[in-house]
Amino acid sequence: MAGKKLKLNAIATTGIIIIAFYLVGIIVSFFWVPFDPVDMDTDHILEGPSFATGHIMGTDEFGRDVFSRIMAGSSISLVISLAGTALGGILGTLLGIWAGYLGGAWDHWMMRFADILFSFPSLLLSIFIMAILGEHTLNVVIAIAIVYIPQFARISRGAILQIKQEEFVRAARSNGATSHYILYKHLLPNIVVPLIVQVSLSLSVAILLESSLSFLGLGVQPPAPSWGNMLSGARKVMAIAPWTAVYPGLAIVFLVLGFNLLGDGLRDILDPRLRNVG
Amino acid sequence: MSDDTILRVEGLMTQFKTDYGIVKAVDGVSFDLRRGETLGIVGESGSGKSVTNLSIMRLIQSPPGKTVGGKVIYDGRDLLSLPEEEVRLMRGKNISMIFQDPLTSLNPVLTISLQITEALQLHHHMGKREAKAKAVEMLKLIGIPDAERRANDYPHEFSGGMRQRVMVAIALSCNPDILIADEPTTALDVTIQAQILDLIKNLSSERHTSVIMITHDLGVVAGMCESICVMYAGKIVERASVDDLFYDPKHPYTRGLLDSIPRLDKAGAYGDERLYSIPGIPPSLVNLPEGCPFAPRCSKAKDICTKAYPPETKFDGERPRSVSCWLYAEEK
Amino acid sequence: MGRYIAKRLLSLIPVLFGVSLIVFFMVRLIPGSALEMYMGTQVEATPQQMLELKRIFGEDKPVPVLYVEWIGQILRGDFGFSLRTGRPVLPDIISRLPLSLELTVLSLLISLLIGLPQGIMSSLGKNPFLDLINRIIGLLGLSLPQFWLASLMVLAFSGFAGWIPMGNYIPFSENPLKNLQMLLLPATAIGIGFSAVIMRYTRNSMLEVLQMDYIRTAKAKGLKKNVVIWRHALKNAILPVITVVGFNAGGLLSGSIVIEEVFALPGMGRLALYAIYQRDYPLIQAIVLIIATIFVLVNLLTDIVYALVDPRIRLDEGGK
Repeated sequence: MAGKKLKLNAIATTGIIIIAFYLVGIIVSFFWVPFDPVDMDTDHILEGPSFATGHIMGTDEFGRDVFSRIMAGSSISLVISLAGTALGGILGTLLGIWAGYLGGAWDHWMMRFADILFSFPSLLLSIFIMAILGEHTLNVVIAIAIVYIPQFARISRGAILQIKQEEFVRAARSNGATSHYILYKHLLPNIVVPLIVQVSLSLSVAILLESSLSFLGLGVQPPAPSWGNMLSGARKVMAIAPWTAVYPGLAIVFLVLGFNLLGDGLRDILDPRLRNVG
Repeated sequence: MSDDTILRVEGLMTQFKTDYGIVKAVDGVSFDLRRGETLGIVGESGSGKSVTNLSIMRLIQSPPGKTVGGKVIYDGRDLLSLPEEEVRLMRGKNISMIFQDPLTSLNPVLTISLQITEALQLHHHMGKREAKAKAVEMLKLIGIPDAERRANDYPHEFSGGMRQRVMVAIALSCNPDILIADEPTTALDVTIQAQILDLIKNLSSERHTSVIMITHDLGVVAGMCESICVMYAGKIVERASVDDLFYDPKHPYTRGLLDSIPRLDKAGAYGDERLYSIPGIPPSLVNLPEGCPFAPRCSKAKDICTKAYPPETKFDGERPRSVSCWLYAEEK
Repeated sequence: MGRYIAKRLLSLIPVLFGVSLIVFFMVRLIPGSALEMYMGTQVEATPQQMLELKRIFGEDKPVPVLYVEWIGQILRGDFGFSLRTGRPVLPDIISRLPLSLELTVLSLLISLLIGLPQGIMSSLGKNPFLDLINRIIGLLGLSLPQFWLASLMVLAFSGFAGWIPMGNYIPFSENPLKNLQMLLLPATAIGIGFSAVIMRYTRNSMLEVLQMDYIRTAKAKGLKKNVVIWRHALKNAILPVITVVGFNAGGLLSGSIVIEEVFALPGMGRLALYAIYQRDYPLIQAIVLIIATIFVLVNLLTDIVYALVDPRIRLDEGGK
């Protein structure tokens, strides 16, 4: 029945199609790009988009092809976001599970720590972390991960506390190994659903975070292309060469939209209360 | 239609669209209600008793449910064919309803006073102050101590029993002709149940209100009602006055229900102390079989019972009496 | 009520302590000490000058001691001196705070103005197709990078005087109308994204509430549809929305960092950014601490507002 619902859910499907589109682009970019994304070509600075020259999205202030840079940037942005979310998600989930399972002082202090991290708005925290770690691509992954740890911890801890209530009585009677098994068997279904939705939505936010950081010069450093730093460079020349700003932005918007659609659609399927009345 | 009849339901049919198919929750229900009469509608969960009454007031949520047939005649007009706005004007004023769960039936963020006065202001066009005074009066009437102050309290500050009393007060505050009580005591303690039922009984007889009491509890029905309809799988299978039903049940299902009541004074249906319960389970309402829906569980089932639904057989007598069962109907 | 607030304020203190710890020690971790950067421009200095410089740049004592000193100073109202300008940090921050706060409040208002009605309409919607479109538009709003939207706005409106500050910021006290005009676009850039969040939460909350028994009771009383929605449903549905708003208000505040940069507004966020670029520790510490504190206080404010609106919480001590 879930498969049937998935097919019927237009929103999630649209999201998947969009994401697939990008994935294809990324895979292709490993083998071929129209122009070299990094090579400067001072003869062709700030040329408008035209099929004739092959620069279908124009060139930037250094003569680099915008479209090729977008393609190259997509793999960078997506990989960073995936890695950061995965790292933060796994660490956060583990922390949350431990906190929920162990309870007591452990739980108390871990949640205190999470609360403190929560006291910083995400962007501020990630800017702060980048300032400490240094503006390097790898560090963006770490920054995103740190931002996400408390969020995932909270979700998984909530799930654990729920089952703990249910299984506790039975687990109290059986030996340690059995209670582990019970937790494992019942924990996963309880956790998987909200986690999947959360991951999809977190990916969308991660992409925005990464591009914001790169825009501010605190993320992926030029000349490596990231949609964020492409936009930063475009600021100066936007007035006369709007394509340098429009296309990279659109690239961000659609990929983020794809993940948002997927997450929203999944949530619809997996949490029936929130569907349309009827 | 006699002068005495205040509500007539004819062939009411309400269905729900679900992922599993169409559920025929109410499948051809007809009954009359006289002025001042207390009618009981009895049945198990899923028999369609609540849906019947929500359909009368047109409160069925429109996807997924829909009233697809029949008539509900009140005051000379068919409620099912009136425009929504006209029916809305009657709700709370001519026909009132109280629901099963007092914890969730009152709005938690509004004061009790407001929830009473809004009905008064709407139906009787009272001013704010007048309505507030009347509300306090009603609270006193239903036995809430310190009514003046407690009117400004919120639902969560009252006990379940008091909340249900408030619901009764709200429903009767505008002197409706008909009060529909949907399992009003099911969610309450036994001792409180009696109080609520007494309250309904007293208030309604004072004001000559007709009451439809929906319940699965035969004890409630015995104490409160003058006539009873027994429902099964969306249909009324037997209709009789209280005495006739308890002393001479005709439909096998009714008999089964009565036999299921544990008795201390004589042997049960098996002839000894074993507790009796009707074998089998109620049918799925999605794919109802041809014929009588009770047939699979009926010890008296005949061949024809699985083939065709029995017509209604009326009995002569002072009080109206009918049953839908092949034991009494002529096979043609 | 007063006791509730006092209790909550007390519980904030350890959190704020933790925040200050993190801020202080993390700032210390920033590579490239300011002293080194400063020295880079000097050719040489006498040992005495070095000692003095070390003291000024806070490198003469072990870090934990410096932390305690710092906390002591803060509690006395002294937030230190900027390494770049030599001026005390606090007045600069205070002078820029109103702008950032105003921007945040405006963006909140805009997002509520857009998101709430959208969410309510969407939950009532009889037209599933329109509803779908609405939801996609909402998600689209969520997907727009604020800095991109802001950049495009600057591009589009730079021709029209008065809409883009361009360094000539007029504070509210001077000319309220012009001030609002200037902040409208930046606030919208921040607010659009958040309006999508509000729309979603409002919609979901309303959908849940409309299924409740008390709504059925209200209808059974014969109340008009509008009354049912506005008096009965909305007051309940708004509760989770209040929580969400409070929780995300910090995001709005930090969103102003980027927006202030793009619109060249002299706000606190922009100050923070440049402090980070320049490794101006005292300034960074102070700003981050203040922003985090504001965030924490906003959460408290949210809880209080929630307790005011939801009568079930009012009388309980501490609520949760």
